[in-house]
Amino acid sequence: MRQLCKGNVAIVKGAVLAGCGAYYGYPITPASEIAEYASLLLPQVGATFLQAESEVSAINMVYGAAGAGIRVMTASSGPGLSLMQEGLSYIAGAELPVVVADIMRGGPGLGNIAPEQGDYFAVTKGGGHGNYRNIVLAPASVQEMATLTMLAFDLADKYRNAVILLTDGFVGQMMEPLDLEMIEAKPPEKPWAVKGTKETRKSLITSIHLTPDELEAHVRKLEAKYKEIERNEVRWETYRAEDADVLLVGYGIVSRVLRTTVDLARQNGVKAGLFRPITLWPYPSQALREAAKRCQRVLTVELSTGQMVEDVRLALGDSKPVDFYSRVGGNVPTAEEIFAEISAHLPALA
Amino acid sequence: MAEARGKVEIDQDECKGCSLCVESCAPKVLELRADLNHYGVHPAEYKGDGCNGCGICFYVCPEPGAITVYKMAKTPATEVADAATV
Repeated sequence: MRQLCKGNVAIVKGAVLAGCGAYYGYPITPASEIAEYASLLLPQVGATFLQAESEVSAINMVYGAAGAGIRVMTASSGPGLSLMQEGLSYIAGAELPVVVADIMRGGPGLGNIAPEQGDYFAVTKGGGHGNYRNIVLAPASVQEMATLTMLAFDLADKYRNAVILLTDGFVGQMMEPLDLEMIEAKPPEKPWAVKGTKETRKSLITSIHLTPDELEAHVRKLEAKYKEIERNEVRWETYRAEDADVLLVGYGIVSRVLRTTVDLARQNGVKAGLFRPITLWPYPSQALREAAKRCQRVLTVELSTGQMVEDVRLALGDSKPVDFYSRVGGNVPTAEEIFAEISAHLPALA
Repeated sequence: MAEARGKVEIDQDECKGCSLCVESCAPKVLELRADLNHYGVHPAEYKGDGCNGCGICFYVCPEPGAITVYKMAKTPATEVADAATV
């Protein structure tokens, strides 16, 4: 049924359809509705909702449930994600399939409860200790909050890896039409899990490998897995990028503003286009290079003081000039504001 | 009343009649029986209707194995996800 739905609630609906069997979490604005609706909807389908005493315990409950072979998720915002980083490192070491939603708010520290994108480094580059990667998906609409959550559970099980939904308080709090195909996913069999049965007696969930050779073999195995993910799971979308002179790059709510900016710029005779990464790790570097081939300048816009722009510059090298524009603290730029920024660079366009 | 989401079974021979489950039951569907069990106490009993399967009685009960809670009435995921929420 087509319905009006809030972004955070759409995550829970996606989780319900994905066969999520447990949610452990601690509420935090602007992610609280995820816990609220998980507590409302999950028990109806026979799944568990439990409010932990902190994010530290929540992520370790997630570790336990994932080790028992259950589809499991948690959600938080920046301060909570910081507390979960130790657990996420252990989850990577033990190769557990978990889904975590990070509805970014202003930081550092307590910051405020308005939308920002300052968790990009912490989530895409690690955050916890050791050699590991999280798959990071960046929803930009209420519809995607649900569909990418379902994808997140599939990817988590496919690779036995943590998948983080990274979006901002704007996408979490806004309401839009949601139209889901009502099909219940069938979670795969997990013979490696510890289920307290005779068959899984020899299963072992651990991240400790004391001898150097053993740990190196394990880390190399993880490395090979991450390479495979980089080959197979890169996702992105473009909007009017084919003939663009100025290529705008942004994710989450920013990509929505940039889409309007593209139309506004074209109405004013400037050929702008949009490149929007959907996976932030693996980053769609190759696709960005392709999309930027024709353009003269690239403008990255973020609600941070410059985090994703490093991946953009890494992808493009010296081949294109990369400009950067940002608002922080909970302010979100308007299309007019970004167009003014484009116009400032216009003399540089041939 | 809506369809019951759970039911409780209380082993009448294990119950020591402390009434912790009766006190903690949110829908108030447990009570102490008027008669005595073999310990000589009034054992707790399920009234037979209205249990929501929350399991709080199980967690507060000091007697291992005295209370069993069954979670029932699972709604299809497609129905739950499709219901309008505001």
